[in-house]
Amino acid sequence: MREAPAAPVQCYFEEVEVNVLLVTPGITLTRAHVALFAGVTGEPASDPDLVPSLLPLSLSSGLGWRVPRPPLAVLAFMGFEWRFLLPVRVGDTIHSESRTLTKRSLREGGVVIEERKIVNQREETVQSGKLTLLVARRPAA
Amino acid sequence: MLSYRSVDARGPVFFEDLAVGQEFTSPGRTVTEADIVIFAGLSGDYNVLHTDAEHMKSSIFGERIAHGLLGLSIEQGLASRGEPTAAHGQLHALKWKFKGPIKIGDTVHVRSRIAGKKDGPDARLGLVTVERELVNQLGEVVQEGETEHAVERRPG
Repeated sequence: MREAPAAPVQCYFEEVEVNVLLVTPGITLTRAHVALFAGVTGEPASDPDLVPSLLPLSLSSGLGWRVPRPPLAVLAFMGFEWRFLLPVRVGDTIHSESRTLTKRSLREGGVVIEERKIVNQREETVQSGKLTLLVARRPAA
Repeated sequence: MLSYRSVDARGPVFFEDLAVGQEFTSPGRTVTEADIVIFAGLSGDYNVLHTDAEHMKSSIFGERIAHGLLGLSIEQGLASRGEPTAAHGQLHALKWKFKGPIKIGDTVHVRSRIAGKKDGPDARLGLVTVERELVNQLGEVVQEGETEHAVERRPG
């Protein structure tokens, strides 16, 4: 008989805590990251050691899975505002720091506004902004 | 800072060459399952939205969808093929909305318009604001927003 896989362990809307700082592990940026990302975007790299602006942000969404809290039960990424403050280069090691600013309940889930910054090995904030996420409610048992 | 001379075969395009109201349309690109798999591997974002076809059959989307940031990354790549290079200079800031899903097999293109110009963080640079829409094969705007780019001023 076919068996359904386990439901993923997730952090549902009810469990999101406001104003708790989450710090991810770091990741060292390599030429391989830059080349793979250039392949995905189709935008040629003008300098193989310059990290494309959107790559650290993309990596931060995966780093966000590697914190003590289970991954957010995101139903949809609704939007974000972001600032690119300093260049990121191959060899830099970045991590992400985030906290939930507000949460607002809706019928189908809830809207979570998260503040996030990306920090390099010199403790400089290289990118920062606010993300708006639609997060699922815990399903009825 | 990006030097446009090195990447734009059409020659340098400076802040002064860009005018508010200029509009651009990019080529199209079909988003494939491979794009989503590679982006999941690269970013480490393995949310079931993007990786579990069976789970997604019972979701409102009915199937896996592309990561929002994959759509935006593809948008920036398409824009680099549809706009003068200077209009796509070093990103300074952006505001972005994900309005609808991008599904495997969808073909998207970019519509953009220069919405504003202002002084940059130093005398060598100007800031250009570009309004952008990522449009699918049905004409639906699936993502939209504004990007702000630092663009070199003409030297001398």
